Amino acid sequence: MKRWHIRDIILVTILAIFMGVIFWAITPLYSALTALFAPMGLQPLANEILLGVWTMAGPLAGFVIRIPGAATLGELLGAVVEMFLGGVWGASTLISGVVQGFGSELGFMATRYRHYNWVTLTLSALTTTLVTFAWSLAREGYSAYHLGFLLLLFAVRFASVFVFGGILTKLITNLLDRAHVLKH
Amino acid sequence: MNPSLKLALLVLVALEISFTHVWTVNVVLIVVSLILMLAGHVSVKRLALLTLIPAFFGGALVWSLTLRGTATTHFLLVIFTRMVAYVYMGGWFAQTTDPLTLTRSLEQNAKLPSKFAYGFLAAFNLMPKIQAEVSTIKAAAMMRGQVLHFWSPQLYFKVILAAMNWSDQLAAAMTSHGFVEDAPRTHATTIPLVARDWVLLVGSLILVQIGLFVGLP
Repeated sequence: MKRWHIRDIILVTILAIFMGVIFWAITPLYSALTALFAPMGLQPLANEILLGVWTMAGPLAGFVIRIPGAATLGELLGAVVEMFLGGVWGASTLISGVVQGFGSELGFMATRYRHYNWVTLTLSALTTTLVTFAWSLAREGYSAYHLGFLLLLFAVRFASVFVFGGILTKLITNLLDRAHVLKH
Repeated sequence: MNPSLKLALLVLVALEISFTHVWTVNVVLIVVSLILMLAGHVSVKRLALLTLIPAFFGGALVWSLTLRGTATTHFLLVIFTRMVAYVYMGGWFAQTTDPLTLTRSLEQNAKLPSKFAYGFLAAFNLMPKIQAEVSTIKAAAMMRGQVLHFWSPQLYFKVILAAMNWSDQLAAAMTSHGFVEDAPRTHATTIPLVARDWVLLVGSLILVQIGLFVGLP
């Protein structure tokens, strides 16, 4: 199994900061969506639609760096950046970072860090959704929603995580593959 | 307080209030964080921001729970104060902790391998350059009539190439300056970890446990 070296550590950190900076830029969109959905009592939808973007650092780092723990570390460091920039969720961002990162990590773990393809990314999207949803049930009080609404939230979250963590990540890594910068 | 223990306290308390339903403890945490931030000379503008953000998002969340769920008033109160407590505690930590001291403390007190500590530091010092790079990439694309959004693969492609380049260069620079992974190191600045830090950590945790399990609303 590959070990962490200084170059990989710097790479995962820079990557996390880049993602943090890009995600920071969509905060106004999050606020706008929240303001739009809130009056109808649909605020969590704003969360679910954008969640895939926030959890993208995990699969991307896991796919590019290919060392056990890369997805978790990438997402956690992204959360650190977000907290120091003054993110919306404060201290719980750190815990969410670990939860989201570990969620994506499970997908790579399931394929034993050997296969890097569609299956891995889809699995990773599924595990991310399941793990983060369990966390939302407790933290954001999702357990109090009616079942129908809860199912809708779950579906939207999976769609978002799949679009960003799956499809977009695959498109990005296709470009990297064509540029011959991914190690096999 | 020692930064590593401060971080441990923050994460443990945030984790615990995520699974418990005692709003009075949340309020106490908010007040204590506010006092600590005032004592740490956090600007009024920052405090206003730290209050408005959770009030807006917490309010929206509570409203949704009211319309779409079966939550009691007590539950709503818990969720709202929890959101504010998260942000205030995070604000206290982020505003009163220097990232450099935190990394040093994690290396010296929490035994984080030095390659991680220095790797993180090297990358975090590039922060302004990284922010500028995102603008440069967007501007360069714009000159060719391409608009890059957060859903454009090209944006991430270019960002990753830059990250790979810089990490190669930084790692080479560190090696050529004599950095050896896993080699024993001495420290120019030592971060103290004294009995007082432990007393503060354990004392605060005990107080939170008492508050959570004594039967407060």
